[in-house]
Amino acid sequence: MGRKLTISCFRFNPNIPGDKPRMQDYELEEYEGMTLFVALNDIREKLDPTLMFDFVCRAAICGSCAMLIHGRPRLACKTMTRTLPSKFTVMPLPVFKLIGDLSVDTGTWFRDLQVRAEAWIHTNKKFDFNALEVRMENETAEKIYDPEQCIECGCCVANCITANIRPDFIGSTGINRVYRFLIDPRDERSDADYYDVIGNEDGTFGCVGLMACDDMCPKEIPLQENLAYVRRKMAAAGLKLKFQGVKIS
Amino acid sequence: MELAKNLQTTINRSHGKTDLYVDLAQSISGVLLIGFLWMHMLFVATVVVSPELFNTLSEGLDRYYLAQVGIPATILLIIIHIFLALRRAPVRLRDMRITYRMAKMMNHYDTWVWVGQVVSALFVGVMASIHLWIILGAWPLRAATSAVRVASSGPADITWGAFTFPFFIVFYVIFLIAGEYHGGFGLYRILVKWGWWERHTMGWVLKGITVIIVGLGFAALYTFTQIAANLPAGGVIH
Repeated sequence: MGRKLTISCFRFNPNIPGDKPRMQDYELEEYEGMTLFVALNDIREKLDPTLMFDFVCRAAICGSCAMLIHGRPRLACKTMTRTLPSKFTVMPLPVFKLIGDLSVDTGTWFRDLQVRAEAWIHTNKKFDFNALEVRMENETAEKIYDPEQCIECGCCVANCITANIRPDFIGSTGINRVYRFLIDPRDERSDADYYDVIGNEDGTFGCVGLMACDDMCPKEIPLQENLAYVRRKMAAAGLKLKFQGVKIS
Repeated sequence: MELAKNLQTTINRSHGKTDLYVDLAQSISGVLLIGFLWMHMLFVATVVVSPELFNTLSEGLDRYYLAQVGIPATILLIIIHIFLALRRAPVRLRDMRITYRMAKMMNHYDTWVWVGQVVSALFVGVMASIHLWIILGAWPLRAATSAVRVASSGPADITWGAFTFPFFIVFYVIFLIAGEYHGGFGLYRILVKWGWWERHTMGWVLKGITVIIVGLGFAALYTFTQIAANLPAGGVIH
């Protein structure tokens, strides 16, 4: 016999006129290896088919099931219920637009981020689809893989006080995204070009350094390092400093 | 959030360096102030070694005009730092509520520490003003004058029922803790934002330094109360 879990879910559907935000408790039995993702599906199957939440991959790759679990933003599919007390709350991520119950629209926010951060390889090289791809050093590829792991779940935006109170702040994920292109040798942008993108209060200089992003990233991306690197790099670009022989990274 | 292409964003974009300068100035003023604070506490703690050493140092600072230049410079630095750091703080009621709720709900250590920094900043701002006002009113600083100041209690006015309370020792204990907390974690945050170091190790190093400095502060406060107790009645000042 497993524990009896009481999951207190945030319920509110903005599309139903007159609907009021409230917490609703669901009771279910825990079994071995249960993740919150499984528990929520159990609730929807057996207790309440109207409960709204997002999921796709159930393997911490799609980033859809991020929500406030027991107060902290996490992925439901990566959270084992045995790590939680027998009664806990589940709420939708703040900052993002609420679709209903636990479901939020991270897509619009991240789409805007991609545009603002100009998150694509900028190159003047003409693509020749007959030629072999240019090889990349393994070391560089591994370095890029680090920030590239971001699944855009939105946890680092939700747990950031700055992102919560300043809607234009690009967030840890945004700075990390720029870092990804900054270290990519295929991107031909100069540091000054990157400075135009995030060398401001809505970008890298808006970060207060609360490090909730670094502590809670479900993909464990080393955000402290990446953010500090971008900050130093952008400060050097803004001041037009050249650190010859001095390692900024 | 959307691509805001209004007048404000358009004209502010042409002054693209301001945000960088302001952010740098905030960090630099913070580093200078924590440097000042730690040096100040080391100087004050010389009284624990001997009041004569404290006096020699104090006289030296006056003789070479270090105090005369240093104090106005520090005041200016504090004003700049308040002005720059304030833009980070949640100042609207709505922002304060969001900050408090998120901190409470997530119960995340660094976020709580920062809330503590905002609160301690208020204490430091007010108490530093009071401290400066009082020391400048009783210049020059010597071990005996500082001792009398630290040990002075309430007015003992008969109309107040001869009520006395060790206001200043309480004041300085709070000021010491608030100042070192704000400065110590402030330096931590600056290094987190700019530095290369792993923040958990760095956090412990800075906590260690802060505990030592607070310890020195307590030792100095205790020494002052002892000096005051041994002064002749009426507090003869040399």
